[in-house]
Amino acid sequence: MSALLEIQGATKAFRGLVAVSDVSLSVERGEVCSVIGPNGAGKTTLFNLISGVLRPTSGRIVFDGKDMGRVPSHRFAAHGIGRTFQNLALFKHATVVENLLVGCHTSLRSGVFAGAVFFGRARREEIAAREQVEEIVEFLEIEELREKVVGTLSYGQQKRVELGRALACRPKLLLLDEMVSGMNQEETEDIARFILDIRDDYGISVLMIEHNMRIVMDISDRVHVLHFGQKIAEGAPAEIGRDDTVAAAYLGPATAKHPRRLADANR
Amino acid sequence: MRSGHYKESVPSLIVLSDSTAVWVWGGILVLAMAMAPYFLNAYLLSFLVLILITGTGALGLHVLTGCTGLISLGHVGFLLLGAYAYAVPVAKFGAPPLIGFLSAGVVPALVSIVVGVPSLRLKGLYLAITTLAFAFIISHVVLSMSWLTNGARGLPVMRPELLGIDFESDARFAHLCLVVAVATLFAVLNIQRSRVGRAFVAVRDNDIAARTMGINLQAYKLRAFMTSAFISGIAGALFGIYLSFVSVEGFPFLMSIEALAILIVGGLGSTAGVVLGTVLIVLLPEVARIALGMLGPQAEMLFSTAAHELRTVLYGLVIILFLRFEPRGLVGVWRDVKRLWVNWPLRH
Ligand SMILES: Nc1ncnc2c1ncn2[C@@H]1O[C@H](COP(=O)(O)OP(=O)(O)OP(=O)(O)O)[C@@H](O)[C@H]1O
Ligand SMILES: [Mg+2]
Repeated sequence: MSALLEIQGATKAFRGLVAVSDVSLSVERGEVCSVIGPNGAGKTTLFNLISGVLRPTSGRIVFDGKDMGRVPSHRFAAHGIGRTFQNLALFKHATVVENLLVGCHTSLRSGVFAGAVFFGRARREEIAAREQVEEIVEFLEIEELREKVVGTLSYGQQKRVELGRALACRPKLLLLDEMVSGMNQEETEDIARFILDIRDDYGISVLMIEHNMRIVMDISDRVHVLHFGQKIAEGAPAEIGRDDTVAAAYLGPATAKHPRRLADANR
Repeated sequence: MRSGHYKESVPSLIVLSDSTAVWVWGGILVLAMAMAPYFLNAYLLSFLVLILITGTGALGLHVLTGCTGLISLGHVGFLLLGAYAYAVPVAKFGAPPLIGFLSAGVVPALVSIVVGVPSLRLKGLYLAITTLAFAFIISHVVLSMSWLTNGARGLPVMRPELLGIDFESDARFAHLCLVVAVATLFAVLNIQRSRVGRAFVAVRDNDIAARTMGINLQAYKLRAFMTSAFISGIAGALFGIYLSFVSVEGFPFLMSIEALAILIVGGLGSTAGVVLGTVLIVLLPEVARIALGMLGPQAEMLFSTAAHELRTVLYGLVIILFLRFEPRGLVGVWRDVKRLWVNWPLRH
């Protein structure tokens, strides 16, 4: 079978600035992949292209064998792409459960009238959605946050809710944009464990942007490195750790002779 | 109680309210309103009817502005359309009132697409101005189509007979308004706890994330416009019947401001707030009149000669005061009071 996600020569230019430049990469089914690169390297822009928030200036995004070029932005979720955002994009006046239920949107059918009557099929599908949400709540260990309004939660808790919301979309590919930034050691380890469980138990492939090298090195099968919008390296975590061009990108050419420092780059 | 620690059956988690007290008090309130026509004099009864009709209309605006975050000054346009969509077939062509009510919902819903589509890309002030223009265009169109609407002369409407029940008497008409208001309240609450209502809130709170979750922004904004217009149209028809005369003058632009004031005073986005806000805003001019009356006969004279202007000032004033001092609205106050009550020493 072909790769789950295949990006072919994707370029995104904002007026003069080329944020993503001729990037090709693929994510296989069942893989946990990382995208790393210095600030402004174009990582988030790449995610925006994959999730339909932005359209590539040129190049193709092929997902699950389908060219996404003509798929409307709001249909990306139904095709199996779920994501979280770098700077929290929750529905902050709604509760945790309501946020997760929005994630179920594409698997529900009822319209305005059926919802207003809330009887029969509409009610049954709400119960089914709520069951699914309860499962995610338990999986992410956020039982005591269920009915809390999202805006009142801590940053780490909100990140977890966003992960849950993305899971509620039942994606085939999960895009995580700097999931653990601003989290402490313990929270980071929880997230690492969740990511591995998501892959192993739910069979969801994961592509994550991370600055935290520990988690990148520990849990990814493959790492892609972006620098000034271009992909400069790809390989297993250990190879990337030894790569001179990568170290140069992070630390400047002078320190490239000490590539082992890469792991400490963001400490 | 909902709590994270006890596992409950899922159907019990999606009920409208899991509090027996809410259901009991709600039932008592509805029962009291159903009995009220037999105890209140005509003057006081008119306030009850006004609260019910205005509240129904405000629920319509709530769907659009409170839930979906699309600010609209075009509310009065939908009320007016609903009133004429009822009056024209019923009073002019003798259609059954049930058809009139159906048309009072459907016609504004269809027309809302006309204002909804150009509004899809607009936000905030621009949307407010577009919908404002819409309200004035509607009244202009109604006036110019006098072959259908009788123009400035308006259309007299009678109290209806529906499903074999005559709603001619004041008490019966109050009952009709009560049924419509309660049904609308339940419909709106149900929408809010189902897929479409959550999509509305998602569009309001974060449109990019909403789209990433699979929500078609344009489609849902249009749905919000149509739902809002449908409900407002029904309220407009009831208001026309209440006035027993449908004319452009009976629906001043102030009604748009009144509905916005209700949402802000109640607490934007809260359905309970719509109920509280409606009661306060409908009664406010009367309370002000009584207060002015205490200042002497001249002050009360002022009220009868400049009632419309005074209402304008009052609504503006409460909007500013609430935005400045209690942006969460009356529901915010209510929650504080409840918390205080629960946490009172030795109470638990
Ligand atoms: N919508 C936009 N309009 C214009 N420029 C943009 C836009 N989005 C991103 N950029 C620019 O594109 C470049 C890449 O940004 P991007 O957010 O993709 O970087 P990043 O790798 O995610 O960085 P970070 O690690 O800081 O999150 C930056 O120079 C940024 O200013
Ligand atoms: Mg980024």
